[in-house]
Amino acid sequence: MKAVARLVWSYFMGSLVTRVCTFGGLVLIAVAFYVLMTQPQSGEMLWLASIGMIVFFAGSSLMPMMFGRLGGSHSIGVLPGGRLKLLLSAFVTVVIVAIPAALVTPAGYVAGNAGSFADLAKNPQYLEFTLQLAKLMFTSAVLFAGWLYLAMWFISRQRDVAGFSKGLLVMAIVIFTPARDISDLTVSLSWNLLQIAISWLVFGAGFLLWPRYKAVRARRGRDRSAAFALAPARGTAGREFDLMLGTANPWLLIAAFVVPLLIATRFAEGFLQIWLFFLTIFSTVSGAIAGEAAGRSRALWLRGNWTREDLFRQVERSFWRHNGIVLGSLILILFGIGSYAGLPVTMLAVGLPLLILGTVLSTYLGLMITRGLRWLEVLLGIGVMLTLMAVAVIAREREDLVTVFALLASLAVLALALRFTARRRWTRIDWMLCRPDRSLAVRAA
Amino acid sequence: MNSATVEASKLSKAFGSKQVLQDISFGVSPGDVIGVLGKNGAGKTTLLDLMLGFTPPTAGAIRVFGHESHSLPGNIKARVGFVPQQDELLDQLSAADQLRVIASFYPRWDSALISRLCGEWGVPLDVRIKSMSVGERQKLSILLAFGHQPELLILDEPVASLDPIARRQFLEQLLTISTDGQRAIVFSSHIVSDIERLANRIWILKEGRLDWQGDLDSLKESIVRLHIRGTGPELPAFQIPGVLNVRRDGAFATAVVRDWTPEAQEALEKGASVQVDVEALGLEEIFVELHR
Amino acid sequence: MFILNPQSGVPIYRQILEQVRRMVASGQLAPGTALPSVRDLAIRHTINPMTISRAYSILETEGLLERNRGKPMTVASQSRNHSQLPKRLEQIGPLVKQTVIAAKQLQLSEAELVKAVRREWEQNDE
Repeated sequence: MKAVARLVWSYFMGSLVTRVCTFGGLVLIAVAFYVLMTQPQSGEMLWLASIGMIVFFAGSSLMPMMFGRLGGSHSIGVLPGGRLKLLLSAFVTVVIVAIPAALVTPAGYVAGNAGSFADLAKNPQYLEFTLQLAKLMFTSAVLFAGWLYLAMWFISRQRDVAGFSKGLLVMAIVIFTPARDISDLTVSLSWNLLQIAISWLVFGAGFLLWPRYKAVRARRGRDRSAAFALAPARGTAGREFDLMLGTANPWLLIAAFVVPLLIATRFAEGFLQIWLFFLTIFSTVSGAIAGEAAGRSRALWLRGNWTREDLFRQVERSFWRHNGIVLGSLILILFGIGSYAGLPVTMLAVGLPLLILGTVLSTYLGLMITRGLRWLEVLLGIGVMLTLMAVAVIAREREDLVTVFALLASLAVLALALRFTARRRWTRIDWMLCRPDRSLAVRAA
Repeated sequence: MNSATVEASKLSKAFGSKQVLQDISFGVSPGDVIGVLGKNGAGKTTLLDLMLGFTPPTAGAIRVFGHESHSLPGNIKARVGFVPQQDELLDQLSAADQLRVIASFYPRWDSALISRLCGEWGVPLDVRIKSMSVGERQKLSILLAFGHQPELLILDEPVASLDPIARRQFLEQLLTISTDGQRAIVFSSHIVSDIERLANRIWILKEGRLDWQGDLDSLKESIVRLHIRGTGPELPAFQIPGVLNVRRDGAFATAVVRDWTPEAQEALEKGASVQVDVEALGLEEIFVELHR
Repeated sequence: MFILNPQSGVPIYRQILEQVRRMVASGQLAPGTALPSVRDLAIRHTINPMTISRAYSILETEGLLERNRGKPMTVASQSRNHSQLPKRLEQIGPLVKQTVIAAKQLQLSEAELVKAVRREWEQNDE
């Protein structure tokens, strides 16, 4: 148990940043709670409490990464009860992080109802309800935090731009669905408890049995699944360029986001702009692969007959082929599901250029990354994303159409500028500078 | 001049304010096997990357088969092979597929040789690269550079992850390649014993400059350790040209010198009336002494 | 045939030179014996062939080896060896020097050293 406590302590206090967040979050929560408890009509304090909870959660953000590292290390198998204690520490962390929600929400509810806590004692039904609310919030928070940690762990494992974007998307999906449930209060205590029980049991079992599984696999011999590789060898004659560039298989990417998209659609009634916004974000992920193109092209240049200028044209062509297929699927989804779900025509009409621009802009932005990810690219990326998101959200009313059109037009111009920059950078590409792992010491200069 | 495989003159490379290579000039001829030695950060990878045209020089010029390395035409690139320090294998493919992919870029590919070597070296052909061991991956990386029978083969720490048997197999193959055709091989390695076997010429990079370039044989004859004895109890003062470091201990002294010749020995013995015994140094000793 | 140490401070070509000279002088390599080709030796010992071919060239200039077109190098006929006396003396020079130094350090006289050498010579004759 001491080990578990120590682990949990280091999750919250492990680094300076997390320590600050933990304390800061607790302070905010305490203040909000105090005000809620003592002042009537102070429901607005809920905002402060929410911020406090988010900050407090950030304070525990070391947990998923440490869990992942320790869980996969050799030493954990050697320590007595190592894996079990690690698992317990994760569960304890989730519980700790969920407690503020359990305390604050009922307090906010009571305070918001112009009652005081003295009333609670007098009114057993009221008390009963508040307690029920607390339990509900607690279990929902446990679930929510668990999924969030999982998403964070997934992101922290990604090593490249494409993986990182995928991770962010997972996080977005994860936040979207439960948040919606919570805000609609469509949850029930028993359903929550069941979900917690099942998910943690499955996770716990998987985690504890993982080493045994690895041993069995090792004994069985190596992974001879080359036959099932999703990059089919037979059909790739002529596609060797794409294979090395990473654009040989758009279907993989499409498969990866169809499922979350369908889930989002299921929950999207009333949230149609959000749905379109997700679709737009997906259109940009396909371009994130372009961020890797520079590093991967070194091998292509050495083996092929292209000058750097020629190489850019080939790479561009390859990406148009790949992204074209992805874009086509997205457009199909837009019109297919969009009309089924009853999206207004305006949104469908705006959705089309939005998806196209999302793809084109992110592709060229990715291709511009020939010297690693620097401030210009990050700022442009964020700017483009925000603009696309804004367009997705405001494309509802007819009156907004002028703004929408203006924004789309400027994005189109930006796309041309990005292509021009990307092309110019590729004619002077220096492969010693384009990947951090290749030139660590050099880039420090 | 056109027979030179690679030629560099006054090559310099800087990244921003950091000067990585300075004033480097060399020539590589067909049949050379050049071992590049240097501490980490001395600029070995930069030098090799400059040879391949991955990065442009800041000053000076470097030409491969007569063409500027930065803008090598396709037919020249087909005569060059490269094994990078970190492999660039596609994890999702099997070794056989990876070989097929790379082979498709070249007009000539010796599949018979490659299959034979895969068998001899133990590179599994139908296992996904993701599940291959580090040694197998490195062997595959090396094979990817052999298949098109390049006339210039450049290897950046090619054997760092190989066990001694695998290394020996690799050396043997490299020797076969270099004796067969008039090929040139340039490779950097920390494993000095491998360089001692394979190379006929050595480049020692120190702080961005070529501290030594020449035959391995001449290097071993030129940098030696002298054991100096005086006739009396105290050693008289003496001067040695080209001394790297000296240690005196009463009537004895040891000194490591470069550019040693029999004439210098005679001059020292007669001039300072001392007795000089010459100890020949292996390559690793030489490297350490040069960096003291 | 040869014992070669690539890690030695003595360059490989020199190791080959010394060994060939000794073996020819001692009769281990009779005239007409074929030596392994440069390539064979390189592959067998896993060393660079250029250093081997340098040794062979030097030995050819010294007259110890003969080049035969299309066939491996062979040891030259004996008559050329006799003119090698100064060379042979030069070979044994370092050993003599070492022995003399050791004797002086042990404070032996020249006569005592010569006596020891003679004794050893006679013993070895058997």
